Amino acid sequence: MAKILKLMDINKVYGDKIKTQVLFDINLDFEESTFNSIIGESGSGKSTLMNIMGTLDRATSGDVEINGINISNMNKNELAVLRNEFIGFIFQFHYLLPEFTVMENILIPYRIKNKNITKEAISRAEELMEIVGISKVKNNKATDISGGQQQRTAIARALINEPKIVLGDEPTGNLDSSTTEIVYDLLRDINQRYKTTFIIITHDKRVAEKADRIIEIKDGRIEMDISRKI
Amino acid sequence: MRLAFSIAYRFLKSNKGQTDLILIGIIIGVSVQIFIGSLIDGLQISLVDKTIGNASQITIVPAGKDKYFLEDRALLDTLKTNDNLTAVSESYDNSAFININGDTYPILLRGLEFEDANMIYEFSDKLIEGNIPQLQNETLIGATLATDNNLKIGDEIEILTPEGVNQRLKISGIFDLKVSNLNKTWIVMPIEGARAIFVNDNQLTSIEMQVSDVFKADTIAEEIKNNLNNSSVDVVNWKEENEELLSGLSGQSASSIMIQVFVLLAVLLGISSVLAISVVQKSKQLGILKAMGIKDNQASFIFLFQGLILGTVGAILGSIFGVLLTYIFSIFVKSPDGTSLVPFYLDYKFIGMSALIAIVASMIAALIPARNTSKLNPIEVIKNG
Repeated sequence: MAKILKLMDINKVYGDKIKTQVLFDINLDFEESTFNSIIGESGSGKSTLMNIMGTLDRATSGDVEINGINISNMNKNELAVLRNEFIGFIFQFHYLLPEFTVMENILIPYRIKNKNITKEAISRAEELMEIVGISKVKNNKATDISGGQQQRTAIARALINEPKIVLGDEPTGNLDSSTTEIVYDLLRDINQRYKTTFIIITHDKRVAEKADRIIEIKDGRIEMDISRKI
Repeated sequence: MRLAFSIAYRFLKSNKGQTDLILIGIIIGVSVQIFIGSLIDGLQISLVDKTIGNASQITIVPAGKDKYFLEDRALLDTLKTNDNLTAVSESYDNSAFININGDTYPILLRGLEFEDANMIYEFSDKLIEGNIPQLQNETLIGATLATDNNLKIGDEIEILTPEGVNQRLKISGIFDLKVSNLNKTWIVMPIEGARAIFVNDNQLTSIEMQVSDVFKADTIAEEIKNNLNNSSVDVVNWKEENEELLSGLSGQSASSIMIQVFVLLAVLLGISSVLAISVVQKSKQLGILKAMGIKDNQASFIFLFQGLILGTVGAILGSIFGVLLTYIFSIFVKSPDGTSLVPFYLDYKFIGMSALIAIVASMIAALIPARNTSKLNPIEVIKNG
């Protein structure tokens, strides 16, 4: 299967005067339409790794290849376009725009990409809302729905531009355990349905065990990398 | 771009308190600017009008030490068809004495075509008694001269010229030009009569003119002079004769501009600081927008559009309030005689400029928050969240 994301000899050092290295020679690649989880203690460097994979941060050295394209020489605007078209983000907090409705929030990545909202875009948004189960609240303001619904809205938003990769940084970290279960089942479902590659950071072992592959990061190095047969 | 605009609009709408605060700031700024500007403009116009409204603004006078120049009908006709001029009046003036019961007083005998002179001096409106002279030996005298010497309509006065001519004139009317010196010394009569007294046919002492735009009097005078091609005459205008008034006016304008600039500066700082706070408040949303692929300059436009929207709404409302304020002031603040102290005067160009400047200033004020937005790094805010 094709490699959708490749990390080659990634090092990350923070600070100018006092240097703190958080990632050491990370080499990782992810296959298309797999469901991956990254675990590790806080401070292990997993969020930094996630930010580098998501092009939000740059590695101090090493290369990142997304969909076969090396992003090292891309400028900020090119990276923004790449993120918009290839990558969906789900964070621990939903970061929905409180001024907009659920529907409008979902369409924002689409509007960043396209001038006008087409009928197809609306029907895709409706399909996604159906899948994540928030059709009933589509015209509510983002602040007028429950926490679980907000995170589902964030998931639908991450998927509106049909990204190849969805990166999740503790996407259920803020939800109770039963909702966590439902949201993960939902992500798995989307992974199978749209063949989207998922890379999810979590500290919840139960959640991680459901993934096709578990990568453990410890002190900036890969401690463990196990794949299940699909 | 449209997304940036709609986000800007929603940000403003959702944060009503803050938006209203900025708007009130801009409205007060713009309305004060327009009020002060219009007030000063109105004051200046009324001052200029009072000073030179009933006086010659451009005058053709004899060149050098000459006292007279030859009447030129063709010149008069071209002047009368000049669109820049609102009044053209020829006059024959000479100093003389008036003899009242054995006492003589120096006077200025002014020979005028009343029809033309009325356009400048408005004798018809300023007559407090009697009529405009119809005959060559009739005259108008000033109110001060009349009361001082107990003269009435129909009385005869005796004019003595330096050349020794003695002429009796009949008073047909009494004027009040609101300037005591003129009311005391001017004897105004038909031009032919005046010429007859001094035996000076076809001579003029001046051609007096008024212009539509008084502040252009100097350039119009220059034009007339260039077209005249006549070395026996000279063209003077009110500006060169009223330098003190002009410097007073420009001082007033300068202080008015200073006030306006500082009001604008205060508004600018206000908008800038409130929007800068708004960037901090919205940093999480801006961070996620950037993660989702909004470009740095698009994100900046969110705040530039906020500046534009605030500036436009503020400028429109501010203009309305400013005009209203000026109007109310002109209605309620009156001088003792019932006329408004400062006439209601609107310069649409000035109002338009003020509004435009306010909009531009609002956008400039939005530049700093826009720059901060552009610099905002999504991982900073997402990490902190």
